[in-house]
This record gives sequence, C-alpha cells and structure tokens, in this order.
Amino acid sequence: MLAVESLSVTYGGLTALCEISLAVGSSQFVSIVGPNGAGKTTLFKAISGTLRPSGGSIHFEDRDLLAVAPSERAHLGIAHVPEGRQVFGSMTVMENLEMGAYSQTGRRDWGRNLERIFALFPILAERRNQAAGTLSGGEQQMLAIGRGIASSPRLLMLDEPSMGLAPMVADLIFERIAELHRDGLAILLVEQRVAEAVQSCDFGYVLETGRVVLEGTHQALLADDRIRSFYLGM
Amino acid sequence: MTSLGTFIEIFLQALIAGVLIGAIYGLMCVGLGIIFGVMRVINFAQGEFLMLGMYFTFYLVVGFNMLWFLGPIVGPYTGALLAGPALFAVAYVLHRFLVSRVTGTSVAGTEGEGHYAQLILTLGVALVLQNGGLILFGSTPQSVRTPLSARAWEIPLLYDANASLFLNKARVVAGVVSIVVAAALYWLINRSRLGKTLRAAADNASAAIYMGIDVDRAYRIAFGIGIGITAIAGGLVATYNPFQPYIGLDFVIIMYAGVVLGGMGSILGAFWGGMTIGLVQQLSTLVLPTQLQNAAIFVVFLLIVMVRPQGLFGRATERV
Amino acid sequence: MQVRRRLIAPLLVIAIVAITWISLGMVVANSYYQLMLTLVPIWAVMGLSWNLLSGYTGLISFGHAAFFGLGAYTVTIALVKFDITPWLGIPLGMIVGAVAGIMIGYPTFRLRGHYFALAMLAYPMALLYVFVWLGYQEVPLPMKREKPAFYMQFSDYRVYIALAVGLLVVSLLISLAVERSRFGMSLTAIKQNEAAAEAAGIDTLAWKMRAIMLSGAVAAAAGGLYAVVLLVVTPESVFGVLTSAQALTIALFGGVGILWGPLIGAAILIPLSETLQAHLGDVIPGIQGVVYGIAIILVVLLAPEGVFWRVRDRFQRPYALGAVRATPLAPHIVTAAPAPAPPRKPILAVSGISKSFGGLRAVTNVSFEIGDGEIVGIIGPNGAGKTTLFNLLNGFLQADSGKVVFAGHELIGLKPNRVCRLGVGRTFQVARAFPRLSVLNNVVVGAYATTTNDADAFAAASTALAQVGLIGRSDASAGRLTNKELRLMELARALAGRPRLLLMDEPLAGLASQEIEDMLAVIRSLVAQGMTIVIIEHTMRAMVRLSERFVVLDHGAILAVGQPSEVINNGGVIEAYLGKKWAAVRARS
Repeated sequence: MLAVESLSVTYGGLTALCEISLAVGSSQFVSIVGPNGAGKTTLFKAISGTLRPSGGSIHFEDRDLLAVAPSERAHLGIAHVPEGRQVFGSMTVMENLEMGAYSQTGRRDWGRNLERIFALFPILAERRNQAAGTLSGGEQQMLAIGRGIASSPRLLMLDEPSMGLAPMVADLIFERIAELHRDGLAILLVEQRVAEAVQSCDFGYVLETGRVVLEGTHQALLADDRIRSFYLGM
Repeated sequence: MTSLGTFIEIFLQALIAGVLIGAIYGLMCVGLGIIFGVMRVINFAQGEFLMLGMYFTFYLVVGFNMLWFLGPIVGPYTGALLAGPALFAVAYVLHRFLVSRVTGTSVAGTEGEGHYAQLILTLGVALVLQNGGLILFGSTPQSVRTPLSARAWEIPLLYDANASLFLNKARVVAGVVSIVVAAALYWLINRSRLGKTLRAAADNASAAIYMGIDVDRAYRIAFGIGIGITAIAGGLVATYNPFQPYIGLDFVIIMYAGVVLGGMGSILGAFWGGMTIGLVQQLSTLVLPTQLQNAAIFVVFLLIVMVRPQGLFGRATERV
Repeated sequence: MQVRRRLIAPLLVIAIVAITWISLGMVVANSYYQLMLTLVPIWAVMGLSWNLLSGYTGLISFGHAAFFGLGAYTVTIALVKFDITPWLGIPLGMIVGAVAGIMIGYPTFRLRGHYFALAMLAYPMALLYVFVWLGYQEVPLPMKREKPAFYMQFSDYRVYIALAVGLLVVSLLISLAVERSRFGMSLTAIKQNEAAAEAAGIDTLAWKMRAIMLSGAVAAAAGGLYAVVLLVVTPESVFGVLTSAQALTIALFGGVGILWGPLIGAAILIPLSETLQAHLGDVIPGIQGVVYGIAIILVVLLAPEGVFWRVRDRFQRPYALGAVRATPLAPHIVTAAPAPAPPRKPILAVSGISKSFGGLRAVTNVSFEIGDGEIVGIIGPNGAGKTTLFNLLNGFLQADSGKVVFAGHELIGLKPNRVCRLGVGRTFQVARAFPRLSVLNNVVVGAYATTTNDADAFAAASTALAQVGLIGRSDASAGRLTNKELRLMELARALAGRPRLLLMDEPLAGLASQEIEDMLAVIRSLVAQGMTIVIIEHTMRAMVRLSERFVVLDHGAILAVGQPSEVINNGGVIEAYLGKKWAAVRARS
C-alpha cells in the first residue's frame, strides 16, 4: 500500500535520512522506532509532504506521492496524526472532528465515523463543545486520532502519540490504536517507546541517525538487545 | 442645573455619535482583523482599500448612476454593499500575484523576520493606490449624498423641554448596516464550513494541511474577505462623509488601534475595539479640542501596545 | 588592523563624490536642477539616518518622519520665535532629534516585530496632529535682509548645494565610522541573531538606544536643512507618511546596511520622481508617490536587500556554489568510555531551580554541580527540559526559585550579556553567520565584551580560531563554509570571550561521523586547556565516549547523575528512553 524506496532527505547540507526503504501492506501495522535525532519525524514529514526529499520515491497504492501536493494527500486516503497533537486549540472538539472530515470520503461517512470515534473515545463525546485547547494531553491525543479517523482513511499515520503522556494514558492510546488495526485499518506508527510500539505491530523498523539499522517481526525485535545500544550509545 | 443639563446633553450626543461611528469603525476593524487573524499579515494598504470602496460606491451610484432603479436611499447603501464583492475580487488577484510572494519568505535583509517584507510590500501598494487614486479620481472631495445625509431624528430629552438629541439619519442607517454586516460575517466565520476552514488555517496551518485544506487558498480568501468588508465600511462612510484619495491615511491608525485594542486574532474583539475607538474619539471632544481627537487615538494606541499588547480581548475569549 | 586597512578606499570615494557634486553645482544654472542637486543629498542623509537604525539592526522603522519633522520645526520655530540662526538651529534640532530618539526608543524597543513597526508609524502621525493643533499649519521662514549669511540665507543657490553636500559628507563619515567599528558590528550581530548577541556579551538594549539617538540626530539635521532650503514648513510635508516612506525606500532600494546604499537610492529615485513630478505633475498629480510605491514593490520582490548588494553579490558570490554533501554515517563502533577523573572543585552549583510556564512545569527542582575542568553531558528524552535549563543558566529565562552560583557569583537575575561577561559562554543549535563578512570578522563580535580596543579583540578572535583549528580560514567569506566549519566558527565566537564555562547546545546534531570525530577532538583539546564544558546532546554514541559524567533529565527533573557506564545501565534511564514495557519485556525473555 505504502512503498518508500531509497528515500533521502537533506537540508542545509545535513543528511537527515539516508536511503530509507520500507513498506506498509494493506491492513498491516508497521512500527518505526529509534532514538532522538534518528530521523523518525523527518520520515513522517516526507511522507506527509511537509519536507521535500532529495532522493528516492514514495508510492501510495501505486501513485507517486511526490507528485501530489501536501494538502491533496489527505484526500487520497492517508490520515496524519502529527507529533504534538496539533489540534485546533481555538475550535471545539466537534469542530476539530468536522475539519478532520474535510475530504469527500470523510463527509460521506460522517455519521458512521462519528459514532465510531465516540465509541472508541467516550470522553470526546462528553467534551464535544469544549475548546480543544483546554483538553488534557491525553484527551488531545484522542482528539487528534479521532480527527484522523474522521477522514475515512485507508492508512493512519501517527507520529509519537505517547510523547508527554503519562504511562497509563499512553497505554490506553496504544490499545485503541491496536483496536483500530484489528478493525482493518493500516497503521504506520512512529514512536520512541519501543515495547509499546513494537508489541502490536506486524513488522517493525529501527532507525538510527537516518538509516534503518534493524528490521523484523515484533518477536524478533523484542528479543534483540542491540536496540538498547542504539538508544543509549553502548 | 442647566449647566449639568447641558453637559448631559453634550455627553449623550457624543456617546451616541461614538456608538454610531464606532459601529462603522468596528466593521473596518473586523476586515483588518480577519486578515491579521488568519494570515498574520499587517496590511498597510487597508486604508487605501477603504478609499477604493468609497470611490467604487461613488462611481456606481453617482458617477455612472447604475443603481438608479433602486431609488436615492436604497441605491447608495446597495452600492456600498456591492463594493464588498468587487474589492474581494481585486484583493484576491492582488494576493495571488503579489502578496503571496512575500508571506512566509525571509526578505528585506532581516533574517527570520519575514513579516517585514509584508509590511514594506503593502506600504508600496498603499503608495501606489493612494497616488494612483489621485491620478484617476482627482483631488476634489466627493461624497455620496442621500436624502438622509442632511436629516436627523430628534429625540427630546425628558428633563428639559429645550434639550434634545439629534441623530443624523445617514449615520444611523450606516451604523445599523455595519452591525448587520458584521453579524453576518460573524455567522459566516463561526457557523459555515468556509468559516471553520479559515479558522483552522489560522489556528494551525500545518495541521490544516494535514486535514487536506489548501491553506494558500484559505489565506487568499481571508485576504479577499477582509478587504471586501473594509470596502463596504468605506462605502458606508461615503454616505455621510466627503472623501478624497488620501483619506485612507486618516483611518489606518484607527483600524490598527481598534484591532490591537481588541486583540489581534480575535474578530469579535476587533469589532469591540473599533467601537471603543469610536467612543474614545467622540468622547474626547468633551475634553480636548477637535484637532487633537486623532492624537488621542494615537496615545491610546501607543498605551495599549506598551501596556497590554494582547488587547482587551486577547486572551480572555476564544478567538473569533 | 584588518578593518582599518580598507579605510582609504571609502574616504577617497566620499571625497570624489563630494567634489564632483559641488562641481556640478557650480556649473548648473537652471534653478530647478539646482533644487534637485540640493535635495538629493538631503534625502540621502535621511536615508543614511534610517540606515543607522533600521539598516544595521534590522528593526524596521516606519516613523523616521518624526525626527525629520522635529528637526525642521526646531529650526523654524527657533528662527521665527527666538531669532536664532539656523547655523545654531540645526545643531539644536539634532539634540532634539537625539532626545526624541531616546524617548521613542526606550518604550518601543520592548516591542517585537509588527508591534514595533506599528508603534513607529504612530509617532509621526501623532506629532502631525499636535503641530496642526498648535497652529503651525504653514510656517514660512522669514527673510533676513540685513545679515542673510548669518541666517543661512543666500541669494546664490550654489551655497545651498555646498551646504547639503557638507551635511552629506558628515553623515557619510558618521556612517563609515559606525560601520567600521564595534558599534556597527554589534548592531549587525543584533540584526542577525539578537539572542546569540546577548549571549556573546553584547548589551543589546544599550546599542539599540545609541543607534536610535544617532539616527534621530542625523534625521533631524536633514529636516533642519530641508526647512532652510524650502523656506516653508507644513506638518504634512515633514511628518507625513511619504517622508517616512521616502527614507525607508531610499535606503532599502539602494542597499540596506551599507553607507553607499542611501546614496545610490537617493541618486536614482529623487531625480526620477522629481523630474516626473515636474513634467507630468500637472497632468498626473501624485506621480511621485506612485514611483516610490512601485520602487518599494520591485525592491521587495526582486532585490530584497537593495541594488548595491544585488550588484555586488553578482561579482563576489558570498555563498558556496552547490550544497556541500555530508558523507553518511559509518557503522557503529563501540569504544570504552573515558576513565573517571580525580575529584574537582565545583565551578557551577545549581540548587533547586524550577521554572513553570502557566501550568506547565518545565524544570522542577533541579540540582547538580559541575567541577572545574569537567566535561558533563546533559541528556534525556525529547522534551525533558534540557534547553530550558540552559536558558535558565544563561539568563534568557528567569527561574521561579532556586540558586545558580558560578565561581562565586549568583547568576539568577542577571541579563545574558552580564552572565557572559562573568565567564559563561554559550553556543546555539542554529549557527547563523554574517555570510558576506570574513570568518575573522564573524568571530570578533564575541570578543567585544571582554576587550576594550579593537587590537585586543582581533587578537582574541584569532586565538579562538586557532583553538578550533580554523585559523587557516580566517579570511574566507563565511558564506562559503561547510557545516562543520560553521559550527566551529560559532564555537570560536563563544571562545573569543575567553569563557571559563562553555554551554554547548547540540553541537553534533546532523554531522557526519568523521565530522563528529573532528568536533570531539576540538572539544577535548579545549578541556585540556582548562575549560569546563557542559553539553546537551542526543548523539549518544559520541557522548558516552566524550563525557566524564552524565546528568539525565526527564520531564524537567533529574533522573540520574553519574558516570556514563553507570547511568546507561540505570533502570530508570532505560525506562525513560525505551519505554516502561521494554524493561519488563526484556526481564521476561
């Protein structure tokens, strides 16, 4: 479904990503982990269009994504849940979700999607008329994910959803993501917390300083002690 | 007793004048407020678009007399309203070819402070429009007279048979129309899908892109709406105030003072900011000579900018 | 010094311009052209005054008409009311201009970006209304038939041209003096990155105030001479928006931040607009404004820094052609951490500092000590508060509570430039250079805080460059450096202030593996020379080899302190980096 081939991103002479290749099959759950500065968010931004790669290609369902403008990519069936939530703080929860449903498919499936979002995250139903900026970190993350689902995507991409969240809240978020996957949605998860990200995935990649240094199924990755040295230096 | 009575009469007269003119200032400020709130652009040429709105109305109603079928009263106000879409189109094109080139890019030798480029570019546009207007329209003051311009409603004050308040009809109608337009805009921004899209683009442009919103187009529309609204305000001012191509300058500082007072980024705040400026301007005539009216506005403006830059409504209310 | 060597050339150019202009003035007979020959230098002076503030510091002023008008009215009122000759009136006006500069600058410099611009716009407009109210709608300067020369009134127009050129020469010399001294360099540093300038010891507010005072004085002089030449002053003509716009456009069009810019701008724009006004003014009134408006628009779109730079860059490209590609990282090599060092006297003691932003606690009760001559790494997951900690140590943020003591001095409450002078240096993540200047000139700014004369400053800069290994590139244009060299230059700038403690913020980010080795070697050599270094870094591989100790932050609080080998095996640290479940899962398998 999503095929990234030999992707490189450089800016200002610094190489952030060097010839990364990965793939997400339909209805697959793929995780990307790695320490700070590994290039995880750069990868996310290259796929969503915020950054222009200097080499390589990205294809989504056989379409060359690099030829599609960033604001168009949402209409193709890719939903982004960016780092730091990035909710529309001055708008209400409902309005945020409405914006999530901006695409045609989103508007078509609005009723059904809204039910599903509220079933997954009942707190959002409770707070539907509250300004998004007043929600807690965890609630904002739920809103961001709900916003992503509202566009009826075929692929949901999440960038560090657990950042800044308390462990219990983060666990809840990961549970819900796994549930979405069970319902048939393809997931690309970028995370710093290894076990949570890897335990539910079908396949995982470990990035370090712009390269893929390890890849495998979740059992293989969890058993590999080398991940620790990638994170902590030795 | 009579001096108190006179004072009350003068005070109420100034208050009413302040409210009426404040409504129109409020509309102007809303126009500027949309542009700043959505795009974070400081548009020095805002006053010039006000002026163009006045001249558009003038030529439509008086010059070419195209609205003769609406009669002498409805015609001018319709003309003022039509200035909105007309200037929207002009602004849309201007943004597409000029303004969009400098928003976001770092120019004018000041790294990282890209908004200086917008300021300077819009200053250039202001100069061209102002002086271009002088060339095209000539320097003779014009006005869009209606039968209401010279008539007033008289409201007798209860405590004194000789005291009454005079409400100039043209100003009252202009004020009411301003409030209606502002309310319509408020509805548009708050309730309509377009409005929500603009608010999303204003709140967080990169997240808006993730949603599939074409943020560049949103900015263009916001710019157009902001200019169109200000043009309508101009058309309304034209019905009771004579104008010439340099009139924009008089209003620029009023608009900025109002927007800053209300809190940059808050449209509702911009309206109240404009209203407050109108009140300050009119009430200051009670204590200051008329020529210093506008100086009083500057002082207020400078005070707000120094003491409370987020404005009266900046943090308290939700944006819009 | 390197800078003084080149003084001959500009002085020569100034002399040639002056002589040529005056000669032109001697031969021209047409009174209209004579007026033009007088106005061009006056507006050039106005542009130079704008440059003195806005061109060098980057704080764009839309209100220079305030100073111009005050100068014009001082001369006029002095003559009309007190019979004071303009020979005295103009210097008086300059004093008024300088004072106005202080009064306007002090409150307005606290404003940022667009608020600054709007406030500056308001001042001349307010003054306009005040002067109209005061009754000075149109004030002609009285003719003094008895002693015309005493009152700066000459029947021979050519004297005015000479006066205008005289003022221009003075202004050019002032601008040259500013540009070639630490005044100009400090302003340029402020323009390029005000925070970095503060951290390098430059008292940014003091320099900005000096700039606006000087700028106000020069603009007032221009206004005063303008009044003398035109013999009539109205509020619109001196306080109007067009006056401020002209000052801005002339400098912007000709070239920002260089004394030749306003000269070029005035020489092109004034004759152009005045000629059009003269020939077409009856048919197309307002042509002047249109010309300036179009000039501004073209400049912003096509040559944002002005004609001078656009042309010069064509011949002397300051930037390297083509990006320098960094080599990709080599595979991971594990080497041992350095052996623990003997105990040292503490040089920095941080006790219980906390900082909250609204409800968010960024740093909570952090305490640790740094020994003299240590290399300590501050590490922790994303968002742990590391850069906030540095900002608290440096003075960019005020801690809510706690103490920071450096070599016996309490740092809390001091402005960053004071902290720098006490011996704390800082490098930033984003290295910004003056691309058109040489590496040496880029670095010398860091030495201003600790030296009194230029010779010492350049010596300190050269020493710093030697310390980082860039001495061979001293004369190279900074725009041509590779990323690693830029980082080293940034480091040299911090070293030029001869700090005892150096705070480095992510010096290795994005560098290729060989470049990282080079940086590590430089850092180790600095420590060997007795410096204490505290580094925030994410590149763990390099940090475990470099640091003697780690201080680990997570969620704004200290998680662990100790030697690298202990810290990275610390359960809490592993949990913070890899997630809670990791440890659990690993324990199970």
